[in-house]
Amino acid sequence: MAGSAGLITLETSQKRFARLMALPGMIVLILLVVGPLVYMFANSFMLKTLATPLPPRFAWFKNYGDLFTDGRFWNAFLNSMIIMVVGIPVQSVLALIIALLLNKKFPGSKIVVALFLIPVMITPVVAGFEWKIILDNRFGPLNFVLSFFGVAPLAWLAKPALAMASILIMDTWQWTPFVTIVLLAGLAAIPKQVYEASSVDGSTARETLWRVTMPLLRPMFTLVVLLRIIFIFKIFDPVQILTGGGPGISTETLGLLTYIIGFKNFNVGMSATIAVVQLIIITVIAKLFITLVMNRREGKQ
Amino acid sequence: MQGKKTFVFICLAVLMIVAQTSFAQAKVTITVYGDEGQNLTPVEWLKPLAAEKGITLETVGVPFTSVYEKLKTEFVGGTGAYDVVIFYPDYLGEFAEFGYLQPLDGLFSVHDPNMADVVPAYRDLYTMYNGKTYALPYDGDILNLYYVKDIFTNAAEKAAFKAKFGQELAVPRTWDDLSKVAQFFTRKKGDKLAGKVLDQDYYGFAFLGARGFAYAWWANIFGSLGGAWFDRNMKPQINSAAGVNALKIQKSLMAFCPPDVMSMGYQELMNAYLQGRVATMIQWSDVWKKANDPKLSKIVHNAGISQVPGVKQADGSIYFRAAAPVGRIIGIPTTTKHPKEAFWVASMLSNDESIKAVTSNDTGEDPYRISHMNNIKAFEKFGTAAEAKNYLDTVKDNLNHVFPDVNIPGSAEYLDALDVAVTSALSGSGDPAAALNTAAASWDKITQSLDVNRQKKIYNSMLEMWKKHGFWKD
Repeated sequence: MAGSAGLITLETSQKRFARLMALPGMIVLILLVVGPLVYMFANSFMLKTLATPLPPRFAWFKNYGDLFTDGRFWNAFLNSMIIMVVGIPVQSVLALIIALLLNKKFPGSKIVVALFLIPVMITPVVAGFEWKIILDNRFGPLNFVLSFFGVAPLAWLAKPALAMASILIMDTWQWTPFVTIVLLAGLAAIPKQVYEASSVDGSTARETLWRVTMPLLRPMFTLVVLLRIIFIFKIFDPVQILTGGGPGISTETLGLLTYIIGFKNFNVGMSATIAVVQLIIITVIAKLFITLVMNRREGKQ
Repeated sequence: MQGKKTFVFICLAVLMIVAQTSFAQAKVTITVYGDEGQNLTPVEWLKPLAAEKGITLETVGVPFTSVYEKLKTEFVGGTGAYDVVIFYPDYLGEFAEFGYLQPLDGLFSVHDPNMADVVPAYRDLYTMYNGKTYALPYDGDILNLYYVKDIFTNAAEKAAFKAKFGQELAVPRTWDDLSKVAQFFTRKKGDKLAGKVLDQDYYGFAFLGARGFAYAWWANIFGSLGGAWFDRNMKPQINSAAGVNALKIQKSLMAFCPPDVMSMGYQELMNAYLQGRVATMIQWSDVWKKANDPKLSKIVHNAGISQVPGVKQADGSIYFRAAAPVGRIIGIPTTTKHPKEAFWVASMLSNDESIKAVTSNDTGEDPYRISHMNNIKAFEKFGTAAEAKNYLDTVKDNLNHVFPDVNIPGSAEYLDALDVAVTSALSGSGDPAAALNTAAASWDKITQSLDVNRQKKIYNSMLEMWKKHGFWKD
């Protein structure tokens, strides 16, 4: 009996010790994540602007009402969705092709992989400036290359559709290598025996790709797509540098709009509201995506 | 007794001398805030002179389009990081009303800024608030019409223009004239212009279409059509008939602009003109100086400058208004610990050193003083005496017909909403009337979110100043 009590005491003391060890982390989390999150939620219910020193006023859901009837918000939402819906599939397909090619060992393959990482390592602001030069309609190398195919110079950043295409091109250039590297890691983790078994069964290369490689890469795809969804909803600096959201508001994204309303117009209440809505959108999309992928996986199993 | 009196007298004299020279001998650091690059160059030039006064000058530069947000953040935080702030007059009402800036009238005795020498409309509308001086002028930014001179005097072009439009080819004075001229000079590569075969497409007109200050190019037309930002009761007037017509006129001019006009900022627009790609354009005053620099320009001594076009009135006169986006001014924050030294720096930059700044291509500063306008000699390094005189007279004309930005609290938000409407409609993604209605609705919301009565009071005092200069009739 006494031994059992001693065991319980030991267990309790171990739990206490574990809690004590977790405490600094919890405090940091509360201070840096939970605290600002609660503050952001609270601000979203306030009419609060720094343009005047008026005291903040509690306004229930007024900011939300105003936001959902604001065409500029829906335009930014649509732009973010376009980048997501067009960008992610294009980048995923390109990355898969490149990853499959790089997975074949050839002389200098490691150097190629290392070089491939450069766009990801470049600061988004620098990438924005680089692409601004590349896309210049008079001196830009892209129009120069296109001229060999008989394409007249395009004003990439001056026409709404072309400006959005420019954002997509730049995003694809910068993030395809990241997706490639993640998929390459996934490919490297697939055991050779699986391919050997598939070969023994007489599978063609296409069948191996669809029935072996792709299902085994699914966790990596899930991870990388989720990360890209989050990154795309936060996209700000390259858009700000490349187009500033223009022409008009044709390339204004949710991240850029949040910045403009919060840090240019100093409308703290409304910028908090957009941030909350953005958080909800990302959470819902991510949840839907994970559920979809997991259901499929369970169905297949 | 006599000895005692002498001792007291000597003590008083020493005290007076010490008091008089204490400012000169003080060792203080003055931090100057402004948009980085060429516009802080005059501060660099002032450093040796300031050092002689015991003042160490430090500069903090921020991007051109971020002046408001960085400064506002500092003001709200009340950090007192800056002693002298160079910013745009759009924010004067907000900064002065909320006590971020100190009135300067009481500091004039430190070093006379010679405000009587400043072009009156510019001084009253851009440096004063509620009857007090809150800022000193630093950059007389005003928009002007530029044109390439020789194509307007070419005999063949003149004859062709007359044949096409039944009137003489001349520098446009009205928007209608500008439209005709822009249409006439828009040519394809391989066509002839003033007898020379074009090796690239040539365009009749260009304006600044990139987000940020694009609204000002619309405001030129809006102002000349009699537009005002609000009525006396703070009802937005940007979506009035004048506003919609102005946007339609600007949109119609796009047919004669380079295809990348909607992504043209200051540099791109200036380059289009300096590199001989456009016949006319509207830009800030410093472009004339740069146009006459062979290192930068292909149109040296061929750059004409004129008043921004206006609208013909029933009596035959033309109503001109020139927008004045940016236009830097210098203020002293209430948080500075060295207001006298800060004012000395501001006054030196605004007055004593200003002629050097406005006559250099190493800065972006433009003339704003009557003494600048009368100093033709100082501008002769950019052209002949006649060209310099024409330049200065034109800048003065445009400054005297300034259409000032809305400079009441919340102006950054008002102007952003307007800029979005203008650029959206111009880039084809919005109907002019609908775009301006959306902007007007946003303006109403902004006004409601601020203190409506205070906004009304401030705006009405601005209108009174407009009235004084003949820019407003009740």
